[in-house]
Amino acid sequence: MAEVLNANPTIRNASDLPSRRRQAHAQPSSTTPKGLFSSIVPPSAYLPDPFSPSSSSASDQDDADIEPIDEQEIYDLISPISDPEHPLTLGSLSVVNLPDIFLTPTFPERGSLSPLTTLTVLVTPTITHCSLATVIGLGVRVRLEQALPPRFRVDVRIKEGTHSTAEQVNRQLGDKERVAAALENGTLMGVLRKMLEGCESGAV
Amino acid sequence: MSNVQQYLLTIHSDKEKALSIAQDTTRGLESKQLTLIEVVQSLGEYINEEDDSIRARAIDYLSQVIGRLSPTFLSRQQIQVLCQFLCDRIEDGGAVGGLRKLQALGRFNKEMAAMTFRAMLDRYQDLQIRPQAQRLQILELLNDLMLKHRNALKELGNESIVGITDLVSGEKDPRNLMVIFSILRVVMVEWDIPGHAEMLFDSVFCYFPITFRPPPDDPYGITAQDLKSRLRDCIAASGHFAPYAFPQLIDKLDSTSPNVKKDVLQTITACASSYGITTLSNYSIMLWDSLKFEILNVQEEDIAEEALVSLQAIAIRLGLGLDSTDPKTPLARYLRPITKECNEQLQEPQHKQAKPAGQILSALGTSSPVTFFLIVKAIVPSLMALYQDAESIAKQRALLEVLVQIFDSAIAVYGTPSIPAPNTRVENPLEPFKDRLFELNSQALMGSAADEVSFRVVALKALLRLCLLRRYLQDNEIGMAVQYFDEIVLLEDPSGKDDLKREAIQALVELSRIKPNLIMDITFPAFMAKLPDSSPSDDQDYLITLEGLAKLSVERYVADTLIRRLLNRLDIVLQNDGCSAYPQAILSTLHYILSQRDLDQDPNLSSYHERIVVGLTSQVVLASVGKAPTTALNEEPTLEILGRLAVMIVRALDEHKQQSVALHIYSLFVDEADFVPVPFRGNVPKLQMSTMILSASLMAGVRHSVSLQFTDPGVGPINKTLAELVRIAFLEDVPPLRQAILRQIGLLTNKFVLPQDTESVLGILKNLLLGLSETTSASENAVRIVFWVAKGLILRLAHTDEILERLLNLLSVKECGIASARGFGLLLAPDEVLSKENGAQIRLLAKQKVFNICVPNIAKEFRRANPATKSNYLVALSGILEHMPTEVVLPEIDTILPLLLRSLDLEDSDVKAATIQTLTVVSQENPKAIEGHVGSLVSRLLKCVTYPGVNSADVRHNALRCLRVFPGRVKDSTLLPYKHTVTRGLLNVLDDPKRNVRKEAVECRVAWFNMDEPQSD
Repeated sequence: MAEVLNANPTIRNASDLPSRRRQAHAQPSSTTPKGLFSSIVPPSAYLPDPFSPSSSSASDQDDADIEPIDEQEIYDLISPISDPEHPLTLGSLSVVNLPDIFLTPTFPERGSLSPLTTLTVLVTPTITHCSLATVIGLGVRVRLEQALPPRFRVDVRIKEGTHSTAEQVNRQLGDKERVAAALENGTLMGVLRKMLEGCESGAV
Repeated sequence: MSNVQQYLLTIHSDKEKALSIAQDTTRGLESKQLTLIEVVQSLGEYINEEDDSIRARAIDYLSQVIGRLSPTFLSRQQIQVLCQFLCDRIEDGGAVGGLRKLQALGRFNKEMAAMTFRAMLDRYQDLQIRPQAQRLQILELLNDLMLKHRNALKELGNESIVGITDLVSGEKDPRNLMVIFSILRVVMVEWDIPGHAEMLFDSVFCYFPITFRPPPDDPYGITAQDLKSRLRDCIAASGHFAPYAFPQLIDKLDSTSPNVKKDVLQTITACASSYGITTLSNYSIMLWDSLKFEILNVQEEDIAEEALVSLQAIAIRLGLGLDSTDPKTPLARYLRPITKECNEQLQEPQHKQAKPAGQILSALGTSSPVTFFLIVKAIVPSLMALYQDAESIAKQRALLEVLVQIFDSAIAVYGTPSIPAPNTRVENPLEPFKDRLFELNSQALMGSAADEVSFRVVALKALLRLCLLRRYLQDNEIGMAVQYFDEIVLLEDPSGKDDLKREAIQALVELSRIKPNLIMDITFPAFMAKLPDSSPSDDQDYLITLEGLAKLSVERYVADTLIRRLLNRLDIVLQNDGCSAYPQAILSTLHYILSQRDLDQDPNLSSYHERIVVGLTSQVVLASVGKAPTTALNEEPTLEILGRLAVMIVRALDEHKQQSVALHIYSLFVDEADFVPVPFRGNVPKLQMSTMILSASLMAGVRHSVSLQFTDPGVGPINKTLAELVRIAFLEDVPPLRQAILRQIGLLTNKFVLPQDTESVLGILKNLLLGLSETTSASENAVRIVFWVAKGLILRLAHTDEILERLLNLLSVKECGIASARGFGLLLAPDEVLSKENGAQIRLLAKQKVFNICVPNIAKEFRRANPATKSNYLVALSGILEHMPTEVVLPEIDTILPLLLRSLDLEDSDVKAATIQTLTVVSQENPKAIEGHVGSLVSRLLKCVTYPGVNSADVRHNALRCLRVFPGRVKDSTLLPYKHTVTRGLLNVLDDPKRNVRKEAVECRVAWFNMDEPQSD
């Protein structure tokens, strides 16, 4: 491997990274004791009754509340990407940060009529002259394009003031054709694939 | 014809016979009919033959003869002569074998050993051009000499060192190398080698690193690891190798192969553990300078791990037998640059290299008390100063993490009160920092903002370690820590992350093992005081308290008191009106605590029985007839929890006690004057009917050997009871009560009906079935009863064929077909009451049998069925497969698969979900089976993920999971034609309203996207 550019970056503790809080202590219910006991004491014994199918009521209910794609979900998609230099994630290196993810309607004037959404992700390189910034940006872009539905317009940029050649990198990341050309490059794809490996949850 | 002639003639065609000829000769010699001279002379004409193979066989004949002689037969002179004779012909095959036999004899002496050795060196200078088998034979002879005549070779001194090294050089065969390494190791350890150290070292190091890979069939059973270990033993054999070994090993550490690196590091560790202290000391700092890169710039975790082990091995070796903390010892000199470097790294504790620096300190710290002392002296003061000046919590947290690692080493070196480490004269260097450390961590834990969870978690870990460290904190200080932990468990905001609370409870559990009295005196009263006397209207804080108490009940003494107190509290709570959730939680807590104990052995078992089973049950019953106030206990969900408690306790009772429980299954420990049992009565009010839940529990708890007799003399025979239960079940429409009655039916038919009486139960079943097919509007309850009776019998494998045939017939009946189809899901479903633990008769083959009877029938009937009932067969199939072990399903997969595919077209979510589950398992376990169906599977699964529509979120999620299983399991060439369909088809699913569905869709897509890419390692 080539010389490491930033051998000793700052690392954030995994438990301090933003995450969707567990929906602890939901509605109190008389049949299923909460917390510790829910795993020990099985839920009420007569509930799974093969004679009364659950389909109708359950699916009505579970589709009732819609969970929209939000910034945290975007963050969860890209924070496990590994840094090309370190066996660490972009999240723990603070290369991607929750407050630097913005979801806005592409045509706000049309309100909810247009589902098109623009997603802007600002990437913060660990050092200002990091030559791998483009690769990191590409990785984030590839990941998002694979993982988001087509109504999203993905825009990955270097956060202002965090990189010496931010302009140049941004132009590269924003140029569809250059991105496509870059993805044709076998070596580069190899690096990207390695970075994205961390996103897969592994065995099924 | 002479023996040798015969031998030569037969050896090719009949080895057995040839060997028996040799045996004859031996016998001749031993009986003195032949002399040794004659035998040797008889070889005369053959040993000068031109043909190698004839010469070899003749010598071989002699070797065979020698090998068969009794060990004391040959005199010293004879051995001398034979040895000379064989040494002269050592190149002829067979001679080496003869020499191996000779050298094993007691009269074989030093001079002969030396002669043999020299003959070997002299005649086998070209050893490496000979075939492998011959080389191995020579090496084995040499190995024999090393074992039996080591001193003879040793006395040859340099001659033997140089000779052996020359002889074996250039060897490449793994089998031979195994022998060579063990021979050379003896020379390295035992000979006087300083003058030849480099040569000897080179003779083995040229094989480093071992890259051997055994051939696929591996005929010799030699692994790369075998070779590596033997080679490593050689390299580590002598401290004289240090000047060559360490620089070259360090060089090889630059390798890009992780395997080579690991090998190098393990070899360094072996050398460090075996070379002398003075020698090692000369290289220790040089080693540190290289090893640190592997740790600080960690690329692969396990390499860093190995490097830590190497560093530790050096420290252990240098500190061997040392109990002086003098800064001039080799150990202190080794540690100085290390602590300096780590101190520098820790200046920026949030940076990447700080964590490995902490690991280095921790790994070294555990190696000995002296090392720990030196490290603490060098590191802790500056850590404290850094902490003092740290400008951010994040930085403080990083520093505390290093402290935690150091405390871990302290515990490794000094032990805990329950697991003390060996005594040491070195004082605990943390002693002077005690007050400061305790204060600092207490402050961090209790004085920082509540949402600094990760910081407080680290502080809690640090504090716990201080409490656990042997002979460190005073009891009153540990008591303070216990109070802090209590406070965290009881007061923390439950809506936030519960990491801290979990850690706090865990800490209390650990402390309860070493200081149970502190938990009893401090934690217990604090927790009990938090439990209200009556149900609070809306807040559920008591759950946290109860959870805490339940977890703390690991110590027996603690648990006994806790159970008593909780029961008292329950009595009080029940007297006060209020929401039933609180008494339910108390009962659940009791359930948890009792389930953690070995009730059979519990001396308090009978008091639990009296108070919980008898006491609470009769309280329920009396309330149900208006002779006592009704309480939360009379509500069905509470009754279910009480029932579970009762099952657990009754199960543990002895036979005698169970007998008395059996008498009270329906009278429920209440006098007849006060309560008439439910069976054989009409119009039972619901409140009284609900006691059937408890009856079911009592029935579940007693063993099948206990005979059931009910108080009412008229209720005697089980069949009558069974018929009565069937009657009540038919009328009952409150689900929990109906379920309780059905379970009693299941228990009776499965556990209590005697084998000879199953016939009459079958009669009851037949009547019920008759009723089903006669009525036009079949009652669902009737179907339920049929399947519960059937379940009870089938699990014990009674009349299985007949019952299943009749049940299968129901599927084509229009009125009750669909209800019956669902009933098949019940037959094999695990049930918490009708279970092995409760003594139900569940035969191992029951599932297999149900499968073997039902599946072919369903497959056949499905084709014939009319469209209206077709789906019934699919529903029944999914119910059967749901609980079927995969190994039963797989052999029949070709029959089932078409049906499963059809099931995916049904609207029923339960069936779909179960079917997808089966398909997922099948694709995981036997991807070949689905290869021919990938096309239809893909298109149907893609239909199952669409939204909005009939698919529940579960179905969508599971279908995606199933799709994700294919890539990597099913052949790429089979899947690739569908890649585009799948990745496009999933595009919309990425916008599914459910987060977990979207997540699965992303992963599924990635799996299909990556498919044709070459797998990178």
